[in-house]
Amino acid sequence: MFIEFSEEQTMLRDSAEKYLRDNYTFDRRQAIVKQPRGFCAEHWQMFADLGWLAMTFSEDAGGFGGGALETMILCEQFGKHLVLEPYLESVVLVGGLIERGASAAIQEQVLSGIVSGELQGAFAYLEEGRVADPWSVATHAEKDGDDFVIEGNKTVVLNGPEADFFVVSARTGTSDTASLDNISLFLVAKETAGLSLRNYKTYDGRAACELRLDQVKVPAGNLLGALDGAYELAQPVFARGIVAVCAEAIGAMDALLEATVNYTKQRKQFGQPISSFQVLRHRMVDMYMEIELSRSLLMATAWKLDNAAPDAEQCVAALKAKVGKAGRYVSHNAIQLHGGIGTTDELSVGHYFKRLAAIGVMFGSRDYHLSRAVSF
Amino acid sequence: MSDSAFRDEVRAFLAQSLTPEIRRAGELMTSVFADFDATMAWHKILHKKGWIAPDWPLEYGGTGWTLSQRYIFQEECKLANAPALLAMGLQMLGPMLIRYGSEEQKSYYLPRMLAGDDVWCQGYSEPGAGSDLAALMTSAVRDGDDYIINGSKIWTSYAQYSNRIFCLVRTSKEGRPQAGISFILVDMDTEGLTVEPIVGLDGTVEQCQVFFDAVRVPAVNLVGAENQGWDVAKSLLEFERGGHNFTIDHKKQMAKLMRQASSQLFSGNSSWRDNPVFKAKFADVAVDALALEFTELRVKGAFQAGGNAGALSSLTKVMGTEIGQRFNELSLEVMGDHALAKQLDALLPDFDGEIIGPECGLTTMAEYINNRASTIYGGSAEIQRDIIAKRVLHL
Repeated sequence: MFIEFSEEQTMLRDSAEKYLRDNYTFDRRQAIVKQPRGFCAEHWQMFADLGWLAMTFSEDAGGFGGGALETMILCEQFGKHLVLEPYLESVVLVGGLIERGASAAIQEQVLSGIVSGELQGAFAYLEEGRVADPWSVATHAEKDGDDFVIEGNKTVVLNGPEADFFVVSARTGTSDTASLDNISLFLVAKETAGLSLRNYKTYDGRAACELRLDQVKVPAGNLLGALDGAYELAQPVFARGIVAVCAEAIGAMDALLEATVNYTKQRKQFGQPISSFQVLRHRMVDMYMEIELSRSLLMATAWKLDNAAPDAEQCVAALKAKVGKAGRYVSHNAIQLHGGIGTTDELSVGHYFKRLAAIGVMFGSRDYHLSRAVSF
Repeated sequence: MSDSAFRDEVRAFLAQSLTPEIRRAGELMTSVFADFDATMAWHKILHKKGWIAPDWPLEYGGTGWTLSQRYIFQEECKLANAPALLAMGLQMLGPMLIRYGSEEQKSYYLPRMLAGDDVWCQGYSEPGAGSDLAALMTSAVRDGDDYIINGSKIWTSYAQYSNRIFCLVRTSKEGRPQAGISFILVDMDTEGLTVEPIVGLDGTVEQCQVFFDAVRVPAVNLVGAENQGWDVAKSLLEFERGGHNFTIDHKKQMAKLMRQASSQLFSGNSSWRDNPVFKAKFADVAVDALALEFTELRVKGAFQAGGNAGALSSLTKVMGTEIGQRFNELSLEVMGDHALAKQLDALLPDFDGEIIGPECGLTTMAEYINNRASTIYGGSAEIQRDIIAKRVLHL
């Protein structure tokens, strides 16, 4: 398999590379982290103006019909610059769910807002004590006339504090928390009565919240996809989310390797640049090999998803597991080779490390996907 | 007294003396340092009991315990979640002063160190001298009865809380770099000395940079002779390496990891503890930890027989820290997304709010992040392997 990027794909990469290089320096990024909101509205608007937020939606929905490959191209650049804006949460996850599952009326109302950058979403699917498995759900929803009433708690809802609405997973049948068959997804506007948030920041500088749903009433029209159909609706969206974070991870690892190579060439100990020590040279070579293996798996997985290949899902699990391992190896050694200075808040190295640690646990950690990959 | 009677005595003392807040500070440790105020409160309790420096000779304030009793004491303190005491004075400078210090230095500094009246920090590394410590440039120039110190020290743990610092300084540029280094004690409130905090990756300050701008220090503060500081420092570095008992830390990590794995679900209704991938990885690290435990016992045995650990202390440092990091990684796998919530206020011993997510995941990310430094400080894993290559394998 040889994946050649189209002219449009190459242009997307070049435009993202240029915009972020010129406008998203590490210092500016750190200034955004220190803001209470944790993202920059001007950047977000610019991402919309550049067409990035629309990129992966169908032309009917005001998009450009891009797929997993476009998601990958964009997110790799986001990773290189540690972009904080909620592209994954709002566009890839919530946008993806709405496009696939919402009524025409909601699509018109909400999806256009996501594409223009005016509205943001957050996917509330994790529950306390069971975060490894997105389908381990205790929150439940009961039909009540023309409404559904949702009751439960969601944990680590990324972008929750900024979201105008949530997509919430809830059981709409038996109470067996292990079953895949009776989970549904609902769109819940932030101002809905009974919704309460506890906001906080994450170690990698994002905004998140714990979400309590206390008898939250939503119209039946807010059901996304079919009743009991959350798994079918969300599984391809999770796959796209995994491609997005793995592409981000590869951008981050590229940046770490470059920083480490440059640092070891310039840092002198025992009268010579430390890059001249064979043990460190081989370490950097191993970092490079981990990155390239991950990149191959990423490109193949994105291509297989776009082409509905039969082994796409297996590749997604393999990709997440491989990137989990590579992310650890590359970030740990980037810090180790920088020495003390690598453990400070001042250098970008540690911030890439923390983002890679976060990506490592999102959408199921390495061991979760290893278990899946061997069960295919 | 039998070891088991001794253990009972230690347990009874700990049960009675560890206040809930001090114990909480121990539970919430995410690096080798605990909350400063709780640490010093515990220091003073131990001092009052006479148990502050079990490793020191009896005549200087030690306890006269056997090696085995000292081990039991260490183990029980950690298992009871006592905060770690600051090592810079008691573990590092103290034994060195006992060996190299003048009578005046010993009689003045040692009692103050034991009482917790002085808090010491260590001024060794410099921006240009890390692994290659002998390249240090901070200079001390003789001026009458004083030295004038200029330069800067970095990675100075808890300098923000310390009132004194022991430093390696350059007093000569003749001969080998090691031959022109002296060891000197400096009061932190001397004019020209400033401390800049360094924010770590978890968002807290443990490290500092210390700047010396024409800092005037009496020459009597020299420890050992001028230009003999390297020998003093070398003995200390070995102490820093060999003096740590990793096995107790690993046992605590394992116990916590099992609590996490039992309480966190992997899929459906089955916990991580039942997951074959987790079990295999856990077993892999646990076997290495067991092998290290017996290695530490060998080191102790050699020490007891009057020998010395030699390069085995490099081995235990490398393996001890790397095993610790592997446990941190497994905890992160198990706690998953819960580890993302940054709640620094909840890591303080006096926090009385509600924790976000499961209690057992509160420290997971901070521990994972902070322990990356464990293979860097006190002689990096690469330097330790070099020592083994040279001294054991004669490469």
